[in-house]
Amino acid sequence: MEKVSYDVVIVGAGLAGLMAAHEVASAGYNVAVISKVFPTRSHSAAAEGGIAAYIQGNSDPNDNPDYMTYDTVKGGDYLVDQDAAELLAYKSGEIVMLLERWGALFNRQPDGRVAVRYFGGQTYPRTRFVGDKTGMALLHTVYERTSGLGSVDFYFEWFAWELVEDDNRIRGIIAFDMRNMVPVFFKAKAVVIASGGMGMLYRHTTNSYINTGDGYAMALRAGAALKDPEFVQFHPTALYPSDILISEAARGEGAVLRNVKGERFMARYAPKKLDLAPRDIVSRAILTEVKEGRGFPGGYVGLDLTHLGEDYIKERLALAYEAAKSFAGIDATKEMIPVRPAQHYYMGGVDVDITGRNPDLIGLFAAGEAACVSVHGANRLGSNSLLETLVFGRETGRTVVEFLKSYTEPSSDIDKEAEKMIDSAYDVVKSESGVHFGEILEKLRDTMWDYVGVFRDENGLKTALSEIMKLREDMKKMYVLDKSKVYNTEFYNALELKNMLDLALVIATSALNRKESRGAHYRLDFPERDDQNWLKHTIAYLRGNSVEITYKPVKMTKWKPEVRVY
Amino acid sequence: MSLQNEEMDVVLKIKRYSPEKGYWWQEYKLKVDRFTQFTEALRRIKSEQDPTLAYRASCHMAVCGSCGMKINGEPRLACKTLVMDMAKKYGSNVITIEPMDYFKPVKDLIVDLDEFYQRMYKVKPRLYPHKDVLEGIVEQRLKPEDQRELWKFAQCIWCGLCVSACPVVVIDQQFLGPAAHAKGYRFLADPRDTITEERMKILIDSSWRCTYCYQCFNVCPRDIEPVTAIKKTRAYTRLAKEKTSVTQTGEKHIEAIFNSLLESGKLEEAKVYLSTYGLLGSIKDFIYLFQSGKVKYALVKEKPVENISEIRKILTGDNK
Repeated sequence: MEKVSYDVVIVGAGLAGLMAAHEVASAGYNVAVISKVFPTRSHSAAAEGGIAAYIQGNSDPNDNPDYMTYDTVKGGDYLVDQDAAELLAYKSGEIVMLLERWGALFNRQPDGRVAVRYFGGQTYPRTRFVGDKTGMALLHTVYERTSGLGSVDFYFEWFAWELVEDDNRIRGIIAFDMRNMVPVFFKAKAVVIASGGMGMLYRHTTNSYINTGDGYAMALRAGAALKDPEFVQFHPTALYPSDILISEAARGEGAVLRNVKGERFMARYAPKKLDLAPRDIVSRAILTEVKEGRGFPGGYVGLDLTHLGEDYIKERLALAYEAAKSFAGIDATKEMIPVRPAQHYYMGGVDVDITGRNPDLIGLFAAGEAACVSVHGANRLGSNSLLETLVFGRETGRTVVEFLKSYTEPSSDIDKEAEKMIDSAYDVVKSESGVHFGEILEKLRDTMWDYVGVFRDENGLKTALSEIMKLREDMKKMYVLDKSKVYNTEFYNALELKNMLDLALVIATSALNRKESRGAHYRLDFPERDDQNWLKHTIAYLRGNSVEITYKPVKMTKWKPEVRVY
Repeated sequence: MSLQNEEMDVVLKIKRYSPEKGYWWQEYKLKVDRFTQFTEALRRIKSEQDPTLAYRASCHMAVCGSCGMKINGEPRLACKTLVMDMAKKYGSNVITIEPMDYFKPVKDLIVDLDEFYQRMYKVKPRLYPHKDVLEGIVEQRLKPEDQRELWKFAQCIWCGLCVSACPVVVIDQQFLGPAAHAKGYRFLADPRDTITEERMKILIDSSWRCTYCYQCFNVCPRDIEPVTAIKKTRAYTRLAKEKTSVTQTGEKHIEAIFNSLLESGKLEEAKVYLSTYGLLGSIKDFIYLFQSGKVKYALVKEKPVENISEIRKILTGDNK
């Protein structure tokens, strides 16, 4: 077994991971960043519409960070930890201006200052943007900056597999060099999970192929809890049928949703905010239209941009225009874009506080979509995810630096433990014959979409759970056809599937457990929000084949729950 | 909104590679519809037919740059290409998929991009703003028109397709390659940057090594036009303090073309050649022309075009 030593290992090289790495490395500690892909290929690149920020002197004069916090809290259906949302809002302007100084090419007002647009659920417009490729622009900026430090080692196209833990204390991580299958034990004083989301669990998702929930599963197996795992966001406007994201910026710029009769149906569901209602509400509205026979054949509705004008569309919504053209053969300047909901974001994540620290394992930290701080509560507002990655990536980096200052080396030896974990990777694919990952994967994605999707109920969730249990059994017969030691992607796909099945079990169990509807978690059999019994965070641990659930109170500062209408 | 769907049976012929077995071609049959991207076709092959097939893909919406490969010989992003479009374009439902050219193969469609990344790092791909800006003492602003100009070249997704298609990177180690030039120009032209002198040193010599073949322009999936970035970088030559011999030759070449047009309104190649490389530098080539009996073409005396005075007005900017 090969071994290397670092102060900190960060899993994931998207915005949250890179920001944390920048912070830790700048403080003089040595950092390894492990990523399945080259950093600029991380899923952060796919974020489109923008990053929310209240900037002093460059925002609507009536706006202030408290309104921003309120919008976030209400958007999240009051499951948001309000101290976290306050931190997010109050640091938003500072972090956007930091990125500006680092060279991010934000769209500009005529006077040269950073421009702004509307997004769903915002009282005042506060989304800052780079066309509709904001994530890509920011990711490149932060990567270029961080790689320039020279003190961060990037292990890209490496597969992080298991956390090594001893006496509730993180001791490092096992990862494979994908190019030659060599397993390496990265000894570390602290590990930051910043490995992003899990969209591949669902048949329809806007996520990248790499989003298989590895970080969540890794944390679960090491004994850390996930917070609010039942909350899965569906984006209302994914391109039909390819599920490519059509940014919410389109509606922010004035695009309108229409059913097959040409009606602006959002008037029925959110009379005040219309098409700019939060994502959970719009997603349910679209599927309700389709279910009641007012969708287009195939099950989609139209997103109408045509009145915005060709030049405006091509500058501000270039990617939406391009995607519709390339992938659906639609000219968005002349015709409506066919859209339907698809899985988009995971509000749940590794349980951490507002400093990024996990309470279960000493030395475990998490940030970005992999973490649940919780700033998004039951439903995330558009433009808040890029903001979260940067603000909490940096906060987490700072916490890790503090942690390292008082770190003492434990005396026990954990090399044996690490050896066992390497064997566990091969255990996943031990059989000589049986099934390969694809067979199980496709069934899992359908099950999650059909029964743990936009609409849920007890029967469906129980069906999902029994199917997931069966697939976990099937996995024991999983084998690998590719015996090569060079870039064996089949082997890694099999490990990813193991991660997905661990996570699926936790999501479905938590969804069955929460008997109310709140934000993105919508139960047909319990359609009302129930603050009396359910205004609390789910805390879920994976114990072998079962899930242990406890609760945590939601942190309230200024905002009492009120009925959520738009 | 007129979504016309149709289906088609296709055969994807994939050029595979492993260090043990070398290259071989393998065929996969599958049914695709009007909307099937090549990344989705590959994903289906891998999960339904042959899990051993190795390729890279991530975002499936042309922003991550993972899935560069050759489809029917064309360097393309697999996600940005629809299977049926290629079948129709080539009038055949048999389609070939190969790894990108130029880079070393690793496995199947996966190539080694380390050398590509090294090229990108050479241009110092990050903004170096003024110290006071970095510390937040002063705010920097950027004109909307500057933002637009820079954003065009900043959209490089590091996919490597342009480098795989570039004939110069193969023969000239000093040429940085199209992607690095786009990235380099994006920072060179940024009014907020402070290391312009150093950037010119890195970029200008290399910019004169491009042959303007436009392959990078043709294959870039983000329409960045790296060749345009190279042209714009050359315009910085007059500001450069030190000039390498490649740069000097380039400048002479431009001047010679200008003079030829000014004189006759035509591109007199022999003259341009002579003025660019000088008598001594050209002598070997003239001997070759002489030996092959082609020297008479080099000595043709061109008559000026009819409205030469109009051309001279345009060239000198003298509109009086």
